[in-house]
Amino acid sequence: MNKGSARKSRPPPQNTSPAPPAKHQALSQEEDFVDEDVFLDENLLDEDALILRDIEERQALASRLSKWTRPPLSQEYVSQSKSIVFQQLEIDYVIGESHRELLPNLSGPAAILRIFGVTREGHSVCCHVHGFEPYFYISCPPGMGPDDISLFHQTLEARMKEMNRNSKAPSFVRRIELVQKRSIMYYQQQTSQSFLKIVVALPTMVASCRGILDRGIQIDGFGMKSFMTYESNVLFALRFMIDCNVVGGNWIEVPVGKYKKTVRNLSYCQLEFDCLYSDLISHAPEGEFSKMAPFRILSFDIECAGRKGHFPEPTKDPVIQVANLVTLQGEDQPFIRNVMTLNSCSPIAGVDVLSFDTEREVLLAWRDLIREVDPDIIIGYNICKFDLPYLIERAEALKIAEFPILGRIRNSKVRVKDTTFSSRQLGTRESKEITVEGRVQFDLLQAMQRDYKLSSYSLNSVSSHFLSEQKEDVHHSIISDLQNGNAETRRRLAVYCLKDAYLPQRLLDKLMFIYNYVEMARVTGVPISFLLSRGQSIKVLSQLLRKAKQKNLVIPNAKQAGSDQGTYEGATVLEARAGFYEKPIATLDFASLYPSIMMAYNLCYCTLVTPEDVRKLNLPPEHFNKTPSGEIFVKPNLQKGILPEILEELLTARKRAKADLKEAKDPFEKAVLDGRQLALKISANSVYGFTGATVGQLPCLEISSSVTSYGRQMIEHTKKLVEDKFTTLGGYEHNAEVIYGDTDSVMVQFGVPSVEAAMILGREAADYISGTFTKPIKLEFEKVYYPYLLISKKRYAGLFWTNPNKFDKMDTKGIETVRRDNCLLVKNLVNECLHRILIDRDVPGAVQYVKNTISDLLMNRVDLSLLVITKGLTKTGDDYEVKAAHVELAERMRKRDAATAPNVGDRVPYVIIKAAKGAKAYEKSEDPIYVLENSIPIDPQYYLENQMSKPLLRIFEPILKNASKELLHGSHTRSIFISTPSNSGIMKFAKKQLTCIGCKALLSKADHTLCAHCKGREAELYCKAVENVSDLEMVFGRLWTQCQECQGSLHQDVLCTSRDCPIFYRRKKAQKDMAEAKQLLERWNF
Amino acid sequence: MEIDSQKNLQRKQCSYEILDEQYKIQKETYKGQQYSHIYFVRLHLMRTILHSLVSKWKPHLPVRTVLELEEGKECVIVGTLYKHMKLKPTILDEYSKERSVTPLVKPHNFMHPDDYLVLEDDSGRVKLSGAVLLPSVYATGIIVALHGKETGVGDFFVDDILEAGLPPQIERPVIPNEDKYVVFVSGLSIGSSSSNPLQFQLLVDHITGHLGDEKEQGIAAQIVHVVIAGNSVEIPRGLLNGQHLSAKDQTKLTEPLKELDILLNQLAAGLSVDIMPGPSDPANFSLPQQPLHRCLFPGSSAYNTFRSCTNPHCFELDNFRFLGTSGQNADDLDKYSEAKDKLEFMERTLRWRHLAPTAPNTLGCYPFTDRDPFLIESCPHVYFIGNQDKFDTRLIKGSEGQMVRLIAIPRFCENGVAVMLNLRNLDCHILSFETEFS
Repeated sequence: MNKGSARKSRPPPQNTSPAPPAKHQALSQEEDFVDEDVFLDENLLDEDALILRDIEERQALASRLSKWTRPPLSQEYVSQSKSIVFQQLEIDYVIGESHRELLPNLSGPAAILRIFGVTREGHSVCCHVHGFEPYFYISCPPGMGPDDISLFHQTLEARMKEMNRNSKAPSFVRRIELVQKRSIMYYQQQTSQSFLKIVVALPTMVASCRGILDRGIQIDGFGMKSFMTYESNVLFALRFMIDCNVVGGNWIEVPVGKYKKTVRNLSYCQLEFDCLYSDLISHAPEGEFSKMAPFRILSFDIECAGRKGHFPEPTKDPVIQVANLVTLQGEDQPFIRNVMTLNSCSPIAGVDVLSFDTEREVLLAWRDLIREVDPDIIIGYNICKFDLPYLIERAEALKIAEFPILGRIRNSKVRVKDTTFSSRQLGTRESKEITVEGRVQFDLLQAMQRDYKLSSYSLNSVSSHFLSEQKEDVHHSIISDLQNGNAETRRRLAVYCLKDAYLPQRLLDKLMFIYNYVEMARVTGVPISFLLSRGQSIKVLSQLLRKAKQKNLVIPNAKQAGSDQGTYEGATVLEARAGFYEKPIATLDFASLYPSIMMAYNLCYCTLVTPEDVRKLNLPPEHFNKTPSGEIFVKPNLQKGILPEILEELLTARKRAKADLKEAKDPFEKAVLDGRQLALKISANSVYGFTGATVGQLPCLEISSSVTSYGRQMIEHTKKLVEDKFTTLGGYEHNAEVIYGDTDSVMVQFGVPSVEAAMILGREAADYISGTFTKPIKLEFEKVYYPYLLISKKRYAGLFWTNPNKFDKMDTKGIETVRRDNCLLVKNLVNECLHRILIDRDVPGAVQYVKNTISDLLMNRVDLSLLVITKGLTKTGDDYEVKAAHVELAERMRKRDAATAPNVGDRVPYVIIKAAKGAKAYEKSEDPIYVLENSIPIDPQYYLENQMSKPLLRIFEPILKNASKELLHGSHTRSIFISTPSNSGIMKFAKKQLTCIGCKALLSKADHTLCAHCKGREAELYCKAVENVSDLEMVFGRLWTQCQECQGSLHQDVLCTSRDCPIFYRRKKAQKDMAEAKQLLERWNF
Repeated sequence: MEIDSQKNLQRKQCSYEILDEQYKIQKETYKGQQYSHIYFVRLHLMRTILHSLVSKWKPHLPVRTVLELEEGKECVIVGTLYKHMKLKPTILDEYSKERSVTPLVKPHNFMHPDDYLVLEDDSGRVKLSGAVLLPSVYATGIIVALHGKETGVGDFFVDDILEAGLPPQIERPVIPNEDKYVVFVSGLSIGSSSSNPLQFQLLVDHITGHLGDEKEQGIAAQIVHVVIAGNSVEIPRGLLNGQHLSAKDQTKLTEPLKELDILLNQLAAGLSVDIMPGPSDPANFSLPQQPLHRCLFPGSSAYNTFRSCTNPHCFELDNFRFLGTSGQNADDLDKYSEAKDKLEFMERTLRWRHLAPTAPNTLGCYPFTDRDPFLIESCPHVYFIGNQDKFDTRLIKGSEGQMVRLIAIPRFCENGVAVMLNLRNLDCHILSFETEFS
């Protein structure tokens, strides 16, 4: 899709010596939907000159690649005697000459839509759709007749011409039609009004035309007038999809005889043809058409040889390897595995190794691979921000002009743009946008960041989280050494590179991204590529537009000036009565609360009555609802809302999908249905957010504030009903108590001791209270917490029961189990405490555990890896305003060894060490490896006070009296052991003398091990020493063989430096401790 | 006990030579070396042996490395087997996200039907397929030669397997015409709840000839050597956490050692005794385990008949070669592979010419850099393992006339059984001591 840029500036058409691909600097907020016209021919390179060049050299390669091409076309396709049915994945448009045969009446440049897809047999399709024109609406000024309209047309045309002087277009405004429509905004009694549909020649003209009308235009007889435009912010491709009922990723049929094979193939697709937009048949994704075509998915990864101390830069550092895996959608093994290497590389079983002597050949081989394999989807980890831009910039630096032809259009170069994407949900991100025509890019990193909250997004950490698979992590400073070695070391690197290409594919399969995203595209009706690159609102807008079209409504392009509409009161929570509850707590949940409220009270743009209208229309009270926030919405008998209708459809569809899911047997069908029900749920929940997004497409705070105010009312209402009804006066055994209420749930303690009894009462309460609500708002009883530790609002933990016999799991909210800036020790401690308190019901045990851990910490017996804190280095030291521990450390490490110091973008692990009195916190950070190597003492007080105390007190305060005194200042905090640093100044002057192993007394020259006094305890002391060695040996063996296991080789040394790996520091420490313990033991063998 | 005897029984003698040198770790230290070296050395030495055998086994086939494989071309490859195991416990489990609600039951065996083998040489790895090579029989660390070809999906389809086979044996000494016995005992576990002090005392008395009538004493006089194959004591490990010990705990700790020393003292006074360390003894953990320190046996270490040895332990008696371990090698194979009995595991290790192939992968092992002490270069005449569930023995023969007596020594503390081996015919029988009175 073409999107994002507000300006259009492209280099003039090139022939023989093409310039680098165009780069646009644009700030595209997710809410700015702007088309960008791309003219055919502009991006094309001279075909023959390039293809013919070094064709001979590449012939050998070509024959290797050609075995991977798509299956050949059957006779029916060749003779055009078969309808073409395909699943589309990508729709964009290009400006070209109108098709003379299909559109005999038109001439001049026109927008031609291109639909890319795959047939059931696996043939690639490029369908050029003609005849669809860009348009938008304005409201027709009263009294404007047909003559006035033609006059208006001429005026507008003249203004347009003035504005676009350089344009070659013969006409701008094609025509203006008078239509009867209605605005979606506000309840109106009349059924329709006059609107003008302005049809323009090219998609970008919508924006410039809107500009003219916004600012005002002089019309004879009407004076200077400015217009509110309608639906002028709809991207052209989306407009087409909406009008033709095409949803993202659905199947499209072009009947036999309705398509014409292109005279000259513009693309590399097997089936390329022209047709009229009105001849397309769009199939709803049901039955046979809910399946997936066999797309080709390419997963790739590149390796670059960086210089020591620098992150690779495309202008300087070569690309040395590219690993590729191609998988057919629905199959579990890739059918192509290859790796392209610079310089020789030893063979790898099951993998095609293609070695080249120059970087240029590597890059071109990769381009050829893309062309031959013709992938529909390109995936990888961080490909959008790193791999793809790097390849393109590298080719630019090497002056390989013909490299960036990666799209499906013959000789058309990819387009690169720098974009800043910002959204409320995700914050601001800088990224590169690379348009590869006809191929969907799916960056797993982006998908992960969008869909999962994780403490680290490194490929290693994500893989170990989802696939339980660790991977070897080779530091980029070693990569160059491996590359500069021999064929063997390069093979090592290639294996690593292949793994990096393999893991994204595994993640894609495991997390069912293809199914979930295609279903999301189908449900919301936007192209798949929008889902990753854009925010939530386009999805809701797409649905709104589709629905509005059915209802003959038009949506205003209400350009809002920031968030001057003010804010509104958010969701509410009932006061939390903190405590440790040892009786079952029943939880009553509102099922899809916000969507239900919108449906129950008919909240919509088109049912909202403005304050003036309330007076004017004089509506009878039984026809409207006044919301708790004071807005008026009419009831469905006067006007059924569009949003409620969309929601209803989404929720019914979800119910159906869930029902089908139960019936489904085929695993692929199941995957589709599960993806669908998930997409439907997410979509239903995002409608509310759309109305509240103040910088969004169509914010309407009247709706969103009404929703939350109803929500608050429901919670209060529930609390009141429960506490009124379930009382001893009402015949129940105990008085019920509401101890906490969240956005859409209420926690009730009925006072009964058993889970089963609480469940019965919970169900009764849910049914009783649901009866008092307007449909479809429904209170459901789902679960019981028992026991339940309520710390404060949004922070609690409890055992989760859905059946009275066995609890399902331990559920925690808002407690330090996943926070990034806590060290592992805290996380483990909190987990273990909760486990002991909730599952073992052993509070004294938990207290003892805390004391032991604190004692271990003070005695320096804690595994260092548990104390490591990591923070991302987002910019260099000078750019930070406040000195931060990890930034200072990065600077210090750079001074020690620039090659291994962390760079911007890396995560910096550190521990807090003991420093001189009065040292600033940021001066006390140190590299864990440095700490290990030099036996630098850590600062246990820091960990106790800054890391452990708060989370611990939070948990224990509701349970324990004097928690702070008991836990943090007890007798277990008395003895402290601090190791002596080996590199500190004073130690250099100290004379080392042997001391007795038993009592530390200095030994005389004659003794080596023990003093005379301790001789009698020799056996005991020896046992101790040997036991220590024995423990360490066991750990040493297990750690190092695990690393061999991960790296997948027994005969080669472990190189991995993955600091994300939990055993990285332990491994290092085991090595060091082992040597020391062994030395001590040696003293017995004099 | 007073013994009235007319005849003066003379204990038989035999020559003894200790061959533990290769299992000693003296100069070696932990200097950051990893386990790749030991695999490399193992592969290097075994490959030489296997290559020479391949030229007899499949002379028509080329020998290739994993790198040189070509699809569809038959060849022989030699390398280290690696077994990919789904259930294999890993240290990373300690860090698993969720603490499981029910504690994991430690399975006795970690095999799974999905396990598969990979062959690795110093050039690369290839996944193995085909029905000839059973993953259940093999474990990580074994070196074999395989005949087969690479398939389209990158697997190596195995048609035939060649193991190194029993190593050459030193010539069998002249068979003595008199009975000479060697006693094997293991798992005394003094200090554990199951150990019965009387049982071991009876054994000692029997061996030293303080028990029974003249006939029995006559047999006792034919015992020339005693081997204690590991797990002699069990010390309360909970006490050894680095804290200072109270006087009471100190006694608790050293009491079993003292008891052992007293009994060993009695034995060593009469005949030569070898004691090997086992997993529960106060010795280091990883193989080869180093001799138990003399300071643990202040009494018995005064005798020159008392020898504290390594585990594995190798020695010669009257030129019969003995090789044995305290059982860890077979126990570990039992966790990661399958056999009908422990003796079969022992037989396999001989055929693989490696005492402990799973070290270092699943069996703790010192990271040697220039040698692999567990390679069996010379076939023993007697091969024993300690600390087994029950006594078992078998005589196996090699293709070149090698004869090996395999012995699984049971844990003495459980049923009071020790093993007697007659050097004259390599026959074995048990000595059983009951202290129950019914």
